[in-house]
Amino acid sequence: MNNFVVLPLLIPLLAGLFMIIFRKNTILQRWLSVISFVLTTLVALYLLRQVFNQGIQIVNLGGWQAPFGIVFVVDMLSALLLVTTGIVSTLCVLYAFNSIGKEREGFYFYPLLQFLIVGVNGSFLTGDIFNLFVCFEVMLLSSYVLLSLGGTKLQLKETIKYVLINTLSSTLFVVAIAYLYAVVGTLNMAHLSVRVAEAGQTGFLTVVAIFFLIVFSLKAALFLYFWLPGAYSAPPPVIAAIFGALLTKVGIYALFRMFTLIFYHQPEITHILLGILAALTMVLGGLGAIAQKDIRYILSYNVIIGVGFIISGLAIFTPKAVIGAVYYLIHDMAMKALLFLLGGAIMTIVGSGKLKEMGGLIRNHPLLGWMFLIATLSLAGIPPLSGFVGKVLIIEEGLAKGGTNASFYWLAALGLFSSFLVLYSLLKIFINGFWGETLLSEDMEKGSTKGLLLPCALLVAIGIFLGVGAEWIYPYIEQAATSMLNPNIYIEAVLGEVI
Amino acid sequence: MSLLHWVIFTPFLFAFIVPFIYKYIRPIHTGWFVLPIPAALFILVAKHIPQVATQGQLRETIAWIPSLGINFAINLDGLSLIFGLLILGIGALVVLYSIYYLSKEKEALHNFYVYLLLFMGAMLGVVFSENIIALYMFWELTSIASFLLIAYWYQRKGSRYGAQKALLITFFGGLCMLAGFLFLGKITGTYLISEIILQVGQVKGHPGFLPAMVLILLGAFTKSAQFPFHIWLPDAMEAPTPISAYLHSATMVKAGIYIIARFTPVFGGGQQWFWLVSGVGLITLFWGSFSAVRQVDLKSMLAYSTISQLGMIVCLLGLGSVALYYGPGEGGAFYITAILAAVFHLINHSTFKGCLFMVVGIIDHETGTRDIRRLGGLMSLMPITFTLAVIGSFSMAGLPPFNGFLSKEMFFTGILKAAQMDIFNMQTWGILFPIIGWLASIFTFVYCMLLVFKSFTGKYYPEKLEKTPHEAPWGMLLPPLVLASLVVLFFFFPNVLANYLLQPALVAILPGLVGLSSEIEIIAPWHGWTPELIMTLGVIGIGIGLFLTFRSWSKLYTYLPQRFTLNILYDQLLIKTEDISRKMTKGYMSGFIRDYLLYIFSFLVVTVGGALLFLDSFVYDPTGNSTINSYEIVLAIIMLGAALMVLFAQDRVVAIIGLGTMGYVVAMFFVVFRAPDLALTQLVVETVTTVMFLLCFYFLPRLEKEKVSSSFQAIRVVISMGVGVVVTALALSAQGNRLFEPISWFFENSYELAGANNIVNAILVDFRGFDTMLEILVFCIAGLGVYTLIKLGLTRRKQDESK
Repeated sequence: MNNFVVLPLLIPLLAGLFMIIFRKNTILQRWLSVISFVLTTLVALYLLRQVFNQGIQIVNLGGWQAPFGIVFVVDMLSALLLVTTGIVSTLCVLYAFNSIGKEREGFYFYPLLQFLIVGVNGSFLTGDIFNLFVCFEVMLLSSYVLLSLGGTKLQLKETIKYVLINTLSSTLFVVAIAYLYAVVGTLNMAHLSVRVAEAGQTGFLTVVAIFFLIVFSLKAALFLYFWLPGAYSAPPPVIAAIFGALLTKVGIYALFRMFTLIFYHQPEITHILLGILAALTMVLGGLGAIAQKDIRYILSYNVIIGVGFIISGLAIFTPKAVIGAVYYLIHDMAMKALLFLLGGAIMTIVGSGKLKEMGGLIRNHPLLGWMFLIATLSLAGIPPLSGFVGKVLIIEEGLAKGGTNASFYWLAALGLFSSFLVLYSLLKIFINGFWGETLLSEDMEKGSTKGLLLPCALLVAIGIFLGVGAEWIYPYIEQAATSMLNPNIYIEAVLGEVI
Repeated sequence: MSLLHWVIFTPFLFAFIVPFIYKYIRPIHTGWFVLPIPAALFILVAKHIPQVATQGQLRETIAWIPSLGINFAINLDGLSLIFGLLILGIGALVVLYSIYYLSKEKEALHNFYVYLLLFMGAMLGVVFSENIIALYMFWELTSIASFLLIAYWYQRKGSRYGAQKALLITFFGGLCMLAGFLFLGKITGTYLISEIILQVGQVKGHPGFLPAMVLILLGAFTKSAQFPFHIWLPDAMEAPTPISAYLHSATMVKAGIYIIARFTPVFGGGQQWFWLVSGVGLITLFWGSFSAVRQVDLKSMLAYSTISQLGMIVCLLGLGSVALYYGPGEGGAFYITAILAAVFHLINHSTFKGCLFMVVGIIDHETGTRDIRRLGGLMSLMPITFTLAVIGSFSMAGLPPFNGFLSKEMFFTGILKAAQMDIFNMQTWGILFPIIGWLASIFTFVYCMLLVFKSFTGKYYPEKLEKTPHEAPWGMLLPPLVLASLVVLFFFFPNVLANYLLQPALVAILPGLVGLSSEIEIIAPWHGWTPELIMTLGVIGIGIGLFLTFRSWSKLYTYLPQRFTLNILYDQLLIKTEDISRKMTKGYMSGFIRDYLLYIFSFLVVTVGGALLFLDSFVYDPTGNSTINSYEIVLAIIMLGAALMVLFAQDRVVAIIGLGTMGYVVAMFFVVFRAPDLALTQLVVETVTTVMFLLCFYFLPRLEKEKVSSSFQAIRVVISMGVGVVVTALALSAQGNRLFEPISWFFENSYELAGANNIVNAILVDFRGFDTMLEILVFCIAGLGVYTLIKLGLTRRKQDESK
């Protein structure tokens, strides 16, 4: 029992509730937001160290022993994601100060952001599948409101679609939980793992697993990503950045959890299916990205490509591939946030996201330009930046099986191809937006980048650190993968000697 | 951190300082601060020459990501030494040249020198890295530096186009090479080249051998501008001329050649390697020289000439790889000479081509044009430049007394021998080597002559030039002068070079076949009246003839199909891919929620339904079910009827009544199944929602009948039926598949555990109180959402204001 475990959920929850009372006092809300996220990050770092040194940490909420009550669990995967979420959300909120605007600040932007993080952190923490559903709801409701906040026509149009599709996926989620409970009679993930293993993941359990796969694919934008490009290009950039960095990643996390902890017995069905979906996602997302001529859509499709690539690692399902997937997941969270924030800065200057309306920005905004190039190269997986280590591990593992029993070489090839499309689509922004004749002189610019570049620069530093400093991070990620591939570690930590 | 690591990292570190120097020390040209770096490093590396010549190699390692076997392992052997000296030596000359070429008032010098240093460090990294992953990193960095340098004048459309083209092609190749490296890494379990070479036997027998080889060659060919990937190089000429001289002729484009040479011991000796390398090289050699003749821009001419010369070196490396087929002994001795020729020509090419690029840069700088149609008669105005041009061109054409003659003769020896090979199907095809190689040499001769005589002799047209030309400043003449003297020196003393540089390189390329002390062929200008010499004389004779009659036959080029060139293929590929992607993406991303729901539901039906059938897991097990009463059947029928009523309702009120009915029947079921609390909740919820719906209707427009085609309607019917069937079948199977006792027994004594008689309440507020708390938060957020939707309308308000 470790009561710290609940803090990453509790801090933003209390901070958010407190802020609602002071709707008009934006200064207070700004301070509180930063304090809350920094504190959450610190707690997450502390938990990371604890998990690294002492193993998985849990807390039985209300004192009810798992599997009967709800349990919160921090293993290395959760801890890493908590830390990344903390850092990304802190930097995004800093960016929001100068970009979100007075109106939205006065209408609960900051508390809603806190609640979103409550949902995200709760999802990473919970060890109970129904509670996961509830955390998803918290996250989704906050995202509905954040997406529509401001009520512009485009936002409302996209919110309707987003809400409808997510309501559908939530319904399917509950249905799936009902099926699962009917068969194995428990909701605790560790207990589910034990019982599914005991039953040997019979045919019907695999069908239920596929049902879950669809549910989380909808959330993670794995193949079922139709809702994403519209929804992620409607809200202000900082909200899109948080969505792009965190929301789909929670779906990915859920897929990781389900298909390493519970449904790992028939990878020849479930993981192959994951692989096919990952491949389709990368290709269709990539083609979508190169087809676009508006920054917002190019970036949104890039989110989709990333999802496909991360899931490739899960599909290949060797220890190194899983390490690669976790590594890439963390990189993708930081770099997608960076990309959207930079895109937001560009749109602030130009007043539009259309490529043909921009040009020669590098003359007056060199720092922005170089950061954008670094983000581009990082996402294309060029060493020594952050995308490289994950990419190499996933591709290498894919090729290895391809070399011996020819099973995943196609996925590896498409993964490499997708990084080509990433580079091409993002380079188009760089070449069109930053190079060429300077279209806007400094006094013609629509907005100022004041205060927007510092959070971006910090994210760039993180991107470089994740790549150059890979050796320092590696032990943590390795531990995460080890615990993911050995469900017994998780089960013992949660259920102890009870079972 | 060894000295050699510093050689790689110093340019990178200095690149960080350059912007500050540029900013704070404006009066002095930034180039003067950069110049000492390559010069000092050159001396540093050159000091290793004797050591490498006697010991073979030097190894140093510092850790980067040891957990994954990725480290900065450095290997300085004969091959990397030659490249290192070229990179630093020509680098120093290019920096000196650039000081006079780029104006310190007009140009963004800090960018230029940052990119240049970035490239220098990266390129040194490529040739010194023993670890292939680190090598790949530096490899990509050279591509990026090249991308930035090509687009140095980023306002120009051509620069941007050229930069993008170069990066896309080389990055594509880089990805292939990475895949090849990872294959090799997986096969051998190591990323170190020396250890991979030790496991050659294992590599050769592995099914991954061929893919790895092809992938790595793709990387090498794209970088070294081999046919059909050469198309990026002419467009890269948009870069400032010092860069063209440095990256796009002397160093970066030779990285591919370095890779081929480096991996010869791993892949060489077999038929595939031989044909791929020498075949592609031969085609490139010919196509490059053939295309160079038609160019009117001097830099484009040099670009195609570079392509052609690189093809020649690649071809020689391919021929030389046969030595590994024969192994140690007499049979392979000759082929070792081909490798010697390749390395020798590599050095020669860097000297004469670097010189020529600088000459062209001087012409451009002094006259304002590079178009040979506007140039002429510059000889008397720029005598030194003319001399340099003659030395460079004649060496390239293969004339004595210049170093190009020696390596060209050795190339002829190589292709003549190739015609006599009796392995690898060469009996049939071998004859093509001397024919194509010789033809290519004739074209080479022709464009070399065009280059010199079109611009320096003939009539002088001052009215066609933007500036009045005069001789360039000494600072611009000195670097090509140094290179031109090397061109001559290497002709007279080739064996000094051979002993100190070429032999150790051969040891590196053909370990086990050549030792540091073994005899290699002496390079000599005169071998008697050999076939090679006759071929050279033929080249000169026919070449002069073609040059003199150039005007009459150059029109032939206009008959070549213009629509099917590789450049157009590249452009079309990009345009078409974007077009198709756009059409396809627009096709399915319709923006209509009904389509998206259709995709999701179809996917659900296909995968879950498919899995249910495929895994044969549908179970219907009615045992243990209670009997079904007649009033339950009645309730079910009412529910069904209400559902249908919603579907076919013409009016919103009717639909809502149908929906309400369904809700109430569900409540009735709860009553039947003895869950009064649930029934009560359900009744309240239904009543409230119905009332709210009715209130809202007042504000909604009339329900319009949706216009959809009957086929789409049919699809919808099928899919919705499918979803119903699948979900029901799953529910029934779940019921029939109960494997474990549910954990709910635990909650049954809720009074003892939680002091609550009502088990549902105890679960909601105690056992799973956390769920409830978060659900309350959900309500809170929903409330905030409603409030913001009503109160905050950013565009609406702006519209109101404008009214």
